[in-house]
Amino acid sequence: MIEVRDLVKVFDTRGQVVRAVDHVSTNVAKGEVLVVLGPSGSGKSTFLRCLNGLESFDEGSVAIDGLQLNDPKTDINAYRREVGMVFQHFNLFPHMTVLENLCLAQKVVRKRSKQEREAKARALLEKVGIGQKANEYPSRLSGGQQQRVAIARALSMDPKVMLFDEPTSALDPEMVGEVLDVMKTLALEGMTMVCVTHEMGFAREVADRVLFFDHGKLLEDSPPESFFTSPKDLRAQAFLRQVL
Amino acid sequence: MIKHKKAQWPWHGLTALVLVGLAVSLYYATSVISYEWRWSRVPQYFAYQAEEAQRAAGYGKVEAIVQQGSMAKVILRDEDGGEQVLDVEQSSLQLSKGDDVAEGDLIGVTRHWTAGPLAWGLWTTVWISLASGVLGLLVGLVAGLCRLSNNPTLRDLSTVYVELVRGTPLLVQIFIFYFFIGTVLNLSREFAGVAALALFTGAYVAEIVRAGVQSIARGQSEAARSLGLSASQSMRHVVLPQAFKRVLPPLAGQFISLVKDTSLVSVIAITELTKSGREAITTSFSTFEIWFCVAGLYLLINLPLSHFASRLERRLAQSD
Repeated sequence: MIEVRDLVKVFDTRGQVVRAVDHVSTNVAKGEVLVVLGPSGSGKSTFLRCLNGLESFDEGSVAIDGLQLNDPKTDINAYRREVGMVFQHFNLFPHMTVLENLCLAQKVVRKRSKQEREAKARALLEKVGIGQKANEYPSRLSGGQQQRVAIARALSMDPKVMLFDEPTSALDPEMVGEVLDVMKTLALEGMTMVCVTHEMGFAREVADRVLFFDHGKLLEDSPPESFFTSPKDLRAQAFLRQVL
Repeated sequence: MIKHKKAQWPWHGLTALVLVGLAVSLYYATSVISYEWRWSRVPQYFAYQAEEAQRAAGYGKVEAIVQQGSMAKVILRDEDGGEQVLDVEQSSLQLSKGDDVAEGDLIGVTRHWTAGPLAWGLWTTVWISLASGVLGLLVGLVAGLCRLSNNPTLRDLSTVYVELVRGTPLLVQIFIFYFFIGTVLNLSREFAGVAALALFTGAYVAEIVRAGVQSIARGQSEAARSLGLSASQSMRHVVLPQAFKRVLPPLAGQFISLVKDTSLVSVIAITELTKSGREAITTSFSTFEIWFCVAGLYLLINLPLSHFASRLERRLAQSD
């Protein structure tokens, strides 16, 4: 479903060149759940943002379901329609109600009828457990509720792949569970997911594979059982000692 | 520390007292220079009864005069038996029944209310403000978005525009528009005036728009783009509505400024409020009264404008 070949992303700030993503290659099969781990600044978020073109990259290629991201013939907006993204800070549109948040892209991009998009939005809100908040503004919701709306918003486009960029890092601890539950449900339903997260429990329980990044390099790519019990890379071992 | 809520009204009372004191001292000051206030001269500059002469169309006789209240219906019969009926003011009637009239003879006058110069000036100021405000908003929106564009030419051009307009006096711009561009392109003075004001306002609106758009967190457009919205769709549906809410106060200030700046187009002989005030003074000699009235009329436009802006602000704040 996702093919990443020799991806390189270089940040050049005032002559200081940093390879945020350094020759990363990986494949994600349909229905697979990837969890990306690594210390902060390891390039895992940049890697994720490269997957839907929010960050441009310098070398390599990314393809989702056969669509080449760096092919000039690819319509970037058509590409992004197939890739849902959930952000650390939710990024809900504050001037719109929850329902409008879910309907905007369906209307503008997918050109769905009012009836169709509202039915879809309400069904998704029920699914993430906040059906009764459809007409509230985001500012009236708790962080956990906002993040669940953000997930529902991304799902409203019927994406083939979902990307999660530290979806629980900005949440109060008691709200982390409700968001992870939604993500688990999605994983069980067979959604292809790439999650950058610090939730080790989630990684252990849900992930099919764990990717470990440090200094832009993909150092380890293994199933969670072997990653958490016997990591091969030294830096992965050090990282696990600190977080577990 | 516990903050006690204090009653506000004594302070508002003090405010009122200060204002009354100012008014009294103003009155005293004018009495020192022995200015004679003649407010009764002012109303005619807002509206007055214009007289219109009613004249006979040809030779004939006054056949009948029918009184209808303060009006009189005069029926004239010419030599061919043709009839002319004129309604005139009873008090202005010059003839009686049986009188001969010649073509062009004054039969009497009719009176009707007509807007005076200050009323016309107010209207001119309103429509010039409105026209240049709407145009200025459009120009400013486009220029502001160009300043944020990825295209270097668009960015450069809009920067040049903003810097040129903000760096030169509006008065000079109006002269250039009227005497130079107006002559070359054969523009009417109103067109030149509105164009100069619109371009002037546009430059400031451009900066307001740019600041507003830049103040919206990048995550908003990233979220929109990640849903498949194009850059312009994301701007239109996500960024601009939020930016508009934020820039409403400076935008309202800009339009209030614009209303006042319209007084400058009087230099190219557009008779707007300030110029009609000046003209009213030359015939009434009531300098103070007229200028106070003119100031009051500008307030009459601007106070509702700022009231409307703050109401809109409150309405948009409902999502906070």
